[in-house]
Order: sequence, then structure tokens, then C-alpha cells
Amino acid sequence: MKRKWIATTLACTMLAAALTGCRGETETETRAPAADASAGAAADGELEGEITFWHSFTQGARMDAVQAAADSFMKLHPGVRINIETYSWGDFNTKWNAGITTGDLPDLSTAQNTGEVVEMINAEVAAPADRFLDSFGRDRFSEKALGDMTWDGSTYGIPYYSHAQVMWYRHDLLDAIGAEVPETWQEFYDLAVKLTDDDTYGAAFSCSTNDLLGTRYLNYYVTSGGGSLLNDDLTVNLTSDLAIEGINFWVDVYKNCSPAETINYTVLDHATLFYQGKTAFDFNSGFMISGVESNTPEIAEFVDAAPLPKIHADDPDYSAEATHIPLVIWEKSEHPEICEAFVAWLLQEENYIPFLEAVPVGMIPAVAGISETEAYRSNETVQFYSNAVDVISEAIELGNAIGVDDHGASVQASYLTSQGIIEAMFQDIITNGTDVETAAKSAEDQLNEIFDMMIN
Amino acid sequence: MKYKVKKDYGRWLWVLPAIALVICLFVYPLGSQVFYSFTNKTLIKSTYGIRGLSNYTAILTDPDFWLALWTSVKWTVLSLLFQMLIGFSAALALNSIKNKVARQVYRILLIIPWAFPTIAIAIIWKWLLNGIYGFIPTLLTQMGITGQLPQFLSTPDLVMPTLVVVNVWFGFPLIMVNVLAALQTVSQDQYEAAQIDGARKLHMFWYITLPHIRNVIGLLVVLRTIWVFNSFDIIYMITGGGPANVSTTLPIYIYNLGWVNKFVGRSSAAAVILLIILLTICAAYFCVLNKWEKEADS
Repeated sequence: MKRKWIATTLACTMLAAALTGCRGETETETRAPAADASAGAAADGELEGEITFWHSFTQGARMDAVQAAADSFMKLHPGVRINIETYSWGDFNTKWNAGITTGDLPDLSTAQNTGEVVEMINAEVAAPADRFLDSFGRDRFSEKALGDMTWDGSTYGIPYYSHAQVMWYRHDLLDAIGAEVPETWQEFYDLAVKLTDDDTYGAAFSCSTNDLLGTRYLNYYVTSGGGSLLNDDLTVNLTSDLAIEGINFWVDVYKNCSPAETINYTVLDHATLFYQGKTAFDFNSGFMISGVESNTPEIAEFVDAAPLPKIHADDPDYSAEATHIPLVIWEKSEHPEICEAFVAWLLQEENYIPFLEAVPVGMIPAVAGISETEAYRSNETVQFYSNAVDVISEAIELGNAIGVDDHGASVQASYLTSQGIIEAMFQDIITNGTDVETAAKSAEDQLNEIFDMMIN
Repeated sequence: MKYKVKKDYGRWLWVLPAIALVICLFVYPLGSQVFYSFTNKTLIKSTYGIRGLSNYTAILTDPDFWLALWTSVKWTVLSLLFQMLIGFSAALALNSIKNKVARQVYRILLIIPWAFPTIAIAIIWKWLLNGIYGFIPTLLTQMGITGQLPQFLSTPDLVMPTLVVVNVWFGFPLIMVNVLAALQTVSQDQYEAAQIDGARKLHMFWYITLPHIRNVIGLLVVLRTIWVFNSFDIIYMITGGGPANVSTTLPIYIYNLGWVNKFVGRSSAAAVILLIILLTICAAYFCVLNKWEKEADS
């Protein structure tokens, strides 16, 4: 009998222990006191101390460029140690979210976009970067980029590089059918359907709930019509005529020219289709070029970019999404002075240009004047894809992060893209045939409930 | 005469590390999880308040929770059933091989799926089943079995059966190895005695083999039920729970609540409900196991 009890207790223990893995977090947390800006600085002004830098540059060339800059910085400042930890973009948000509870947070990090910086501000973990920006020169960064990260008069992120969403196409495929680059969504759709055959898909529409593509694509359409996914009171708007039209448009694209499999595709899965020459059109940043060059170099010469299509050809020029990848100094850092000095070091031409050249055209300089330098302009890829560089640069100038548009930076704009609810709405419409208005209303209610719970 | 009992607190020192370990790894996480299930804690705020049973009400009235529970039940029952059938059959087949070298080679070959990390398996299967350039859909089309590339991971009716096949392939070796080990403990004398009495093979299996190994099978069922019900990585890596939640099991539902929506309180409540469900199932299993043990003792 005793044995049975032991066995039962052990099994229950194992079961419960296994289940604890499903929980959201583990312990109560106390926020670290605000850092003392002068802490760690030696009396003679020489930098001294240890910082942890989290970044998401997992590809070899970018990672190497950052490491080289850190090594040279440490050589210049022997009292400084920079510990670099790398997390993929997908893991980064989870990592710092968990870090709020466990206290495992960096001194300095990248962020996925300006929206994530607003999330950090809301969570009270990001420190103002005003001191750095004022000394480095605010006018050396895009006003829009700084605006996306400005909250209550303070700016919390330092733009590291920029990119924007544009339309990518294969001009060899367009030439083969005697077509021009589409300027309207209808022209794009007609061509995509026409180019869909056994080997190639006109375009892909992906909506994995683990990524933001459904939201991003719907935002293209809504922005092109002068609308927004957020109302003026920062509630979600998925039921406007324009949003419903946009949802129907992308469902039609999925049904008539996209692989069925893409219903579960994330950004990388989706982009890989274009990299491999499986799709004729795609929407993405300049990272497309390095993806195509490394996957299918034989088609790289046929790839080019154009502005996002409009609803009517005579609609005003627009940009639906510009992203500025920021560097963030964290509130808990005991050595903000080292972080600031290291950021300035990263942005110095001799360190910055080798970093940008790791993915040419993918990363557009966020610091004024760099794109005019001979060192930057002489890059072969930048020269060959100069049209794409111009299209992306213009889109960066015109655009904001999703949901920021006329409403300014808000936590709601950030949550809009991180919840997978708009993607689940698309999946529901496509898979279950749910009525578009019903699905849109349901998704709108869910997102508004999340906004209420997370912000209020 | 009174004897004074000498209190020896020193013995507690010896068990203190074990107690500390249990408190850290089990009591505290479980206790805090139950506690948070009554709060509105979110992942990105350190402040929270007590909200009574509101998380439980929200979970139990959420249709997605019931859909995830039903998907978990289908996933567990089908995976377990086929893992047991195939694992058991493979163990019997291996046990009947007389040549020791051949038996060893087959055993190594059959254990291969279990030897791989789950993440690697999920990525390989995702690639094999890809509806655009995957090996299996292409092969089926080229052989003329299907007219167009079958969409194993996006056709709602195919997604769960496909995932179950992957899980069966991955999980049956564990059953096989354990059942094989149990089979090898059955005394040959009993088979010889039964043969002398004229018993047929089926009778020997039913009256000698099965009673000997049924406790092992029972424990395997208990363990596999817990593991399969809680399994997260294979489904999450292959479909992410989609499309339209058709492959969202309870662990994925809980993960999404906690890590995507960041509702720690609500995800803790869902995890507590999952704990209660599994404890109930395990209690039922143990009743059966106890009954078998009593029968064996008598």
C-alpha cells in the first residue's frame, strides 16, 4: 500500500512539475532603481565598467561587424567590458518580457522596431536617450524616426538603421508577358493572377499567427486609401469600409495566386518564396536582395523595387510602413555613460559603414550624411540596385511604423502587430469561410479588450 | 522514572537540500501559478491586483479553450493508441528474433526517431510535408497518387492526422524499448511448461506474457498520457497551432495567452485547469493499476 502511495505521489509530482512549464512566469519582481549616470566612471573620466548588449543580428556578417566594433571599443577603453548576447528577432520580445520578472535585462539592446520601444516605455524599462541625442545631434537622425519613439517629451531610442516596405518584382517575368510595373492594387492583382502557373505563384499572402504579416498587408491597403487601423481614440478599426475592402482583397490574393501553405507562413518562410523565385511579386524591405543573392543568384539581376501600389493611380504618394531599428539604453543600466559612448562608437563612419555593408540595401543609414559618403556609395550592390535604394529611401522619408501614422507613438500601435489576432482573423475567414464583417468585428473586439487589459 | 527524549535536529540538515530543491522546483512555481491565476498579472507589468475567479470564468466561457481541449484529447488518444499498437508490435517482433546481432541492429534502427531532438524532427517533417516543394507531396504527385500537391499542413481535415502520424513515428520507439525490456523478464520456464500442457501461442501470450508486462504498459500509458497531452514543440514548430486553431492544443493555447497576449493571470488559470484535468485522468489510471496489483498479489 505504501508503495502505491509513493508511486501515486511521484507521478502527481511529475505531472505538476511538467505543468509548471506551461505557466507564464515565475516570480514577483522589483524594479531596479534608476541608474546613476555617474556610477562606474573613474575620477579621471576614463570609462570603466561592464555592460551587457543584446542584439538580434544573428547573421554572420552583421554579428561580426558589431563584435569587431565592440572589440575595438574595449581596446580603446581597457576598463570596459562589453558582453554581447544574441537573440533572434522572434525570441527577443519574449526574452525581455521574461526579464522584467526575473531581472535578467541588458544595459543596451536593439529593438525590433520603434513600436517595441513604446512597449518598453510602457513597461518602464527603457531610459531616455535625450542626453545622447543632444550631444550627438538630433538633426542627424530622421525627425519621424525620433518622433516614433518620443513619449511625454523624451526620446527613448537611437535609430541604428532604417528600412521600409516596398513592392518587389521580377522584371524578367513582367517582360515575358509584356506587362508594366503595376501602380494600383487592381493592376497588381490582375498581373499576379496572370503570372500564376504550375511553377510560379503571382504573389503570396501569409498569415501565421506567430508573425505580423496579415496586419502588415492589411495596413498597406488601408494606408493606401488614406485610412488607419487605429481610430483617433486609439481603439482598433477593422470594420471600416476600407478595412473590409482590404481584408477581401488579400483573401482574394490568397485564394487566386498564393500557395495554400502560406496560411501558416511567417515572415522568413514567406520571403524565402521570393528568394527562391517561387513568387513574382512580394512586399518587403531591401533585405530581399541579399536573400535572393544567397538563395537564387541567377535571378538577382531581374529583381527590382517599386513603390507600394495605390487604390487609384492618381492617389497621392504614400508609404505604409517605415521601420527604424533602434538602440535602447535600459533603465536598470548602471553604466549609461558606457552605453552612450559605445553607441556613438557604433555610429562612427569607420564602424558604421562596415556594418551597413553586411546587408547592403537592406540597411539604409539612419545617420544623415552617411549615404552621401564615397565609402557607402562605392558598394557594388548599392550601385547596382540604386533604383531600389531610391524607392526605399523615399518610403522611409514618407512612412511611419504601423499604427503610428497621424496618431503618434502609442502602445496600441505596438500591440496591433504583436498579438496575432488579425492573422487569426484571416485564417478564420480562409479556413472556416467565416463572414468577413463578422470575423473583423470579432478581431476588433479582441484587440480592444487586450488594449484595455494591457494599458489601463 | 521519566525518560527525556533527546531531540536530534541534526537529521533535518541531511534532508534540507532535498526539501529546498522541492520547494524551489515544485512548491514555489506551482504555488505562485495558482496564486497568479487569481490575479490580473500581465507579463510586462510588475504590478497586479487580485481578481477572484474572473480568469477562470473567462477561460471556461472561451470557445477557443474548449476547442483546444477537444484537440488535445484527440491528439493524445490517437497518438497514444497508435504509439502503443506500433510500439508493442515492434517489441514483440524484436523479441522473436533469435539472432542477437540482428536484434541489436533492428533495435538501433527502430530507436532512431526517439534519438533525435524534437525540434530537429519538427523542422525535418515540416520540410518533408511542405505543400510547395516538400518531398512527400511531390512524391505522391509524381507517382500519380494525387492530382495536385496535397496540402498536409494547411488543409484543415489533414492537419491533425498528419501531426498524429509525426508524433506516432516519434513516440513509438519509447514504448517499444520498454515493452521489449519487460518481455525479456518473462521466465522461459513458464512458456515451456505451457507448451508441455499443449497451450497455443495466443493462449501463452494472453495468460503468460500479458499479465507479466501489463504493469509496465500501465505505467507507460500514464507517463505517455501526461507527456503527449503536454507536448508543445512538435505542433508549435510545424503548424504553430493553425490554421484557424485546428491544431491548437491546450499547451499552445496556454502559451499564446501567456507569451503572445501576455496575460499571465489568465494563462495561469488555464494551466491550473489543465493540471486538474490531468490529475483526474491519472487518478483513474492509478485506480486500474492498483486493481491489477491487487489481483497479482492475490
